[in-house]
Amino acid sequence: MMSKVTVDPYELLANLENILDSDPHIEEVGFIHPSQFAAFDGEGAVIPSSSTGNTFEVLDEINKPKSEGASSFENVFLYREHKLGISSLSLFLLYNAAKDAFFTSYRSYRLSSDPLIKKAAEIDVMKHSRALLLLSSDFGTAWNSRKMIVSKKSLPSLLMDELHLSALVLSYSPKSERSWSHRRWVIKMIAQKDEDLQDIVQKESVFVKTIVGNYKMNYRAWSYRCWLVSYMSITQILHELQISRDWAALHVADNSCYHYRSCLLLKIIEKMHHDHVSDCLPHVEIRRLWQQELDWVASLINRYVGREALWLHRRFLSLIWMKHLANDDDQIALCNSCADNIENVSRFVKDELIFAQQCSIVPDNDFEDYEAQAIHSADYIAWLAKQMPVSFFVELEKSSHYETFKLLLYQNGKGSLWESMAASWRRSA
Amino acid sequence: MGELEVEKHAKYILAVEKKKDDFQSVVMEHLRLNGAYWGLTTLDIIGKLDAVNSDDVVSWIMQCQDESGGFGGNIGHDPHVLYTLSAIQVLALFNKLDILDTEKVANYIASLQADDGSFAGDIWGEIDTRFSYIAICSLALLHQLDKINVEKAVKYILSCQNVDGGFGCIPGGESHAGQIFCCVGALAITGHLHLLDKDLLGWWLSERQVKCGGLNGRPEKLPDVCYSWWVLSSLIMIDRIHWIDKPKLVQFILDCQDKENGGISDRPDDAVDVYHTYFGIAGLSLLEYPGLKPIDPAYALPVDVVNRIFLSS
Repeated sequence: MMSKVTVDPYELLANLENILDSDPHIEEVGFIHPSQFAAFDGEGAVIPSSSTGNTFEVLDEINKPKSEGASSFENVFLYREHKLGISSLSLFLLYNAAKDAFFTSYRSYRLSSDPLIKKAAEIDVMKHSRALLLLSSDFGTAWNSRKMIVSKKSLPSLLMDELHLSALVLSYSPKSERSWSHRRWVIKMIAQKDEDLQDIVQKESVFVKTIVGNYKMNYRAWSYRCWLVSYMSITQILHELQISRDWAALHVADNSCYHYRSCLLLKIIEKMHHDHVSDCLPHVEIRRLWQQELDWVASLINRYVGREALWLHRRFLSLIWMKHLANDDDQIALCNSCADNIENVSRFVKDELIFAQQCSIVPDNDFEDYEAQAIHSADYIAWLAKQMPVSFFVELEKSSHYETFKLLLYQNGKGSLWESMAASWRRSA
Repeated sequence: MGELEVEKHAKYILAVEKKKDDFQSVVMEHLRLNGAYWGLTTLDIIGKLDAVNSDDVVSWIMQCQDESGGFGGNIGHDPHVLYTLSAIQVLALFNKLDILDTEKVANYIASLQADDGSFAGDIWGEIDTRFSYIAICSLALLHQLDKINVEKAVKYILSCQNVDGGFGCIPGGESHAGQIFCCVGALAITGHLHLLDKDLLGWWLSERQVKCGGLNGRPEKLPDVCYSWWVLSSLIMIDRIHWIDKPKLVQFILDCQDKENGGISDRPDDAVDVYHTYFGIAGLSLLEYPGLKPIDPAYALPVDVVNRIFLSS
């Protein structure tokens, strides 16, 4: 019969906090079932000591036997090379201990007027909140307590510590909303004191890139990256466009990364509109950039058949391209010559119809999703027709592609919707 | 082949409410007020709200209120608008809004509006269009909308609209069905839906329906039952619900049930939770599934509760 070894949860907590204190460079945390501890060859398995928990022992044994007297609580922490694993069986105890310790110290910190007690409580709050957040990443009150303490001091190193903690939490909980918002708070605090954010914005963008590689279309991560764009100079924006290109080409189903590109591209246009002569691109450069992006997306569409995100990115690119060429009332004209505009639009429409037509051919091939490609091409044209002036529809209706196009829309359930839109266009044309 | 296992779902919700002895349950403690809203609104929709002791719930909710007037996710937790709205909504379900110091709660919410019209979630300043919706919905339910600058709030929301017609969490943020629901809901409540290009947005929303009939929240993502609420309610508010295949969606939601143990999951055969149980049933209510109370798409409360608030004052 296995004898149960009772474990003091506060001792467990102290062990966790000691590990965290002893290594400021911990970069990864994860929860693992203790049966997986053996897979790490037993080296570096940490067990809570029987003393007051100020030290921990490192075992060199390989394949520690599950002998009698061994309880499932013995293998709680696995700590090696700046990576920490916590036994999933211990989480309930650890969480409750951390939460209790945190609330006790937080109450003491907020209510105490004695500076010594307050100082001691402050240290405890930082210690316990850190442990708690590794167990419950969205425990908002814990993040807030750290903001409260850090905002009262003027130490940049403390802000860096907060970035480190949030990075650690995000290593196991990459979608944690409160972790991302804590990070944003830190950057805003830094921005209050520092004029030049280029360096940190750059580092943050690289950080997001490491997170988004692991989990597809992480909304909070990508939103954070889009938010950083508002702090970027034109040089940084162009740099971001360039360095994220290869990643995007390897993640053609990741709609978020294409949205990020559209964010960067829109920022370039916005900067031009605001007349910041020093920090904007000349018109001819923007056109070249846009054309480059259009060509690149076209090549991806041809290579990765039937990918929705690519077609959606093309919708964005084409619409902005045409709207600027058409020289609408308060839209910025990329091309100054008016007479060329109408011709440019007409030519662009024809080119896009040819492109869509090519993509709507469904060969006898089971390996690629040509059917999806064809439907996407029709949706693409229909969507553009909806956004553009009637002249687009007029060109479309005249083209040899029109019947195939309508057929594809019917296949996708958009047939009658199209007919009603077309009817109203014919009336107004 | 589908039937909504109403009894099983009621049992599931009541059981979950009591479960506090494992890590999965306690790690949700900080948002228990949200959980209360999801569970209790579901019970009301299926006509089983009386299975719960309202006095116990109400007294617990009031203990979650902070001296600022806002509510935390549980007792002792910091206040945030996320939990403040849930508190107001649950009190509304029980017809107990009158125990609130309305002025105090409204002042807390109104204090979170920034100069550009946006709303922070709490004193720490995180801005998100979700918080715009929460503020507007809360204040409307409390008849205190005049405490904020509605025009500026609307202007900020519109600044979050993207080229594809959708809305993100901040200006330039990727269009997301959840964020869209918040923006459209806020515009609906403040009477500004006419400022939307409903066809453009309807198009984006209708493209959320995938082959199996379920709805996703963004392009290229898998369908998820919770989008049955966010996409559906948005489509209803902009009067484009006929742009999706409703029977197919009903079937998808029904397929997400755990017919043995109750509860609904994000997609068929996954683990269930209260969150998806609520959104699945709320979605079915919007789709007029028989036997369910109708739910208001903007306030996310049963229609009779909303009527009680707006028609009897």
